[in-house]
Amino acid sequence: MKTTFGALSLVFILGVLLVVANPNYGLKFGLGEGNWEEYRYTDQYYIEHGVEEVGGTNIVTDIVFDYRGYDTLGEATVLFTSIAGAVALLRKWRGEE
Amino acid sequence: MRAQNSDMGLIVKTMARATIPLIGIFGAYVIAHGHITPGGGFQGGATIAGAGVLFLVAFGLSEAKEKINKNFYSVLEGIGGLVFLAAGMLGLGVAFFYNILWHKGPVFNGEAGTLLSAGYLSMMNLAVGLKVYTGLVSALFAIALFRRWKK
Repeated sequence: MKTTFGALSLVFILGVLLVVANPNYGLKFGLGEGNWEEYRYTDQYYIEHGVEEVGGTNIVTDIVFDYRGYDTLGEATVLFTSIAGAVALLRKWRGEE
Repeated sequence: MRAQNSDMGLIVKTMARATIPLIGIFGAYVIAHGHITPGGGFQGGATIAGAGVLFLVAFGLSEAKEKINKNFYSVLEGIGGLVFLAAGMLGLGVAFFYNILWHKGPVFNGEAGTLLSAGYLSMMNLAVGLKVYTGLVSALFAIALFRRWKK
């Protein structure tokens, strides 16, 4: 019973996502000239000003380490926490050896 | 105490001796050129961690136990995070994550596209690469040491 309900809700969510991803109702893929300016103006800003403002010619690194450095800091924190958790959980138990 | 079958044969060991330096150099290249070419700290750190995994797999756990010091790796991971944070706080007079080295710093403000450009970006790439490498290696080493099912 529970499994059937779970499967049905998964199918429903998948259907909703398919409607959302339909270019006629929701997201558009392969944005062209006018749509680019309308939906991706932030990307356009990064592409135009990234090199002069940050200095790196790799725009992805410019964004990840300078414009959105907080995000990378959090990412490093997540990595640190996961490593610490893994190492802490995989230690020998108290009774062993 | 040398564990049986925990290391590979002669061919694999010799190939590992040849390839581990190459993987390490390539990873260092990816990290150092993170602000110019595709890649960066995370990708290069994972690449070098692949060399560490190859070492662990090819030479076995007993050999790795002698070479890998857990405390040293933990300290290096912390230092990587701290260097990243310090690079972010360099321009704290203006704002957090203000790239002061690029705007009016004494170093790392060469022409865009050269190795010594882009302010603190290369510093951060090095820090993140160090952090990712030591973190992944110590996590995998902890997993390799976890052999409770043998008893």
